[in-house]
Amino acid sequence: MRRSRSRVNAYDGLVSPKAKVEIAKEHLAKAQEELNGDHRDAVQWTFASLEAAIDALAAEAGIPIDQQHWKRTDAAKQLHQTGVLPSDLSELHSELNFLRKAIFYDGEDIEEAGFSVEDAVVDVEAVVEIASERAS
Amino acid sequence: MTTLTKSWRQPAPTRKGLAALSPPDPELWESRLSQDRKRATANQSEALLRITRAIEDRSRELGADALVLTGSTARNRRTRVSDLDYHVIGGKPDIDRLPSDIDLYSDEPDAFLAKLFRGDDFAHWTLRYGCILFDDGVLRKALNAAIEHDLWPDAERKLRQARRAIGFSRKLATTGDHAALLEVSRGAFSLTARWWLISHDVFPLARDELAQQLVETDQPGLARALEGTIHRRPSAAEIASRLAEADQLTAS
Repeated sequence: MRRSRSRVNAYDGLVSPKAKVEIAKEHLAKAQEELNGDHRDAVQWTFASLEAAIDALAAEAGIPIDQQHWKRTDAAKQLHQTGVLPSDLSELHSELNFLRKAIFYDGEDIEEAGFSVEDAVVDVEAVVEIASERAS
Repeated sequence: MTTLTKSWRQPAPTRKGLAALSPPDPELWESRLSQDRKRATANQSEALLRITRAIEDRSRELGADALVLTGSTARNRRTRVSDLDYHVIGGKPDIDRLPSDIDLYSDEPDAFLAKLFRGDDFAHWTLRYGCILFDDGVLRKALNAAIEHDLWPDAERKLRQARRAIGFSRKLATTGDHAALLEVSRGAFSLTARWWLISHDVFPLARDELAQQLVETDQPGLARALEGTIHRRPSAAEIASRLAEADQLTAS
């Protein structure tokens, strides 16, 4: 029987929290741009930005991520509980993760899903700003 | 103890695979359910089984009609990047606080049947190759309908999804976010592979089986691209080049 191996990720271990912050900022800028364009792409960029920002903050806090989305969801909760983030974004992370996969693999429309990507972008802006301040 | 005289066999992954099966009567269906549960147990580690049991309990509590373990776990082809995939017919159970990357899709019985008729390949996959953990009869009815109407996934629908995924992956390839690019391009290559296979009357199996199916349908370049993103860590430049090829393939 095959079993899932640990997702130790050598490449991403070499990416510094600062570099992750830069990636988060760039993705966020693309998400903001797509608010006036394709909202499905806005969801993809918002999720990618949030993931990179969580990676940066988690690395600083010593929280292992191992390239697993559910660990980032947990990390978002822990970062709030330890006072790094003012609000708990674990639910937003989880929701964005589901939605971006539904869009990517099923071509689902986000209007049907009843999700405000504008609100999500505002929430992620705050996280990216905090990650940016802590990395500088 | 009941002795089953009829034994379920999975359909061949071909356009005619379902038509070759007899519509399952209750006895044959019972055989499938029994086989599926054994497969589901054999294909999971103890840690994964605990998660599956939790999802089954939560689904039953919600009064779901059926629950199916799908994807690479159902096919015993898990890789280091595999999620745990489920399809529930009925209410969607909470999957929070379960320690794994989980993809759980839920459909009401009518919506599931409608998806089969409009050629949603994921719904077809569930029915053909998923390990059914429980079923109150809705899936047997759906399979009978799929056999009776000779249903097959819609290749055009898959092509639209593949084009869109390739387009987004190509944008991501310019950002320096290698981890995200690897995951998203893997998805784009999978979608392209599934479109190619469906349009060539081959039913796409689990992600780690697609490369072999692609080779058998004369698409070795796409097979290498997909396999690379599952088992290796290709550079961004290599991924971008493979994405350009996939773009060309889906544009032609």
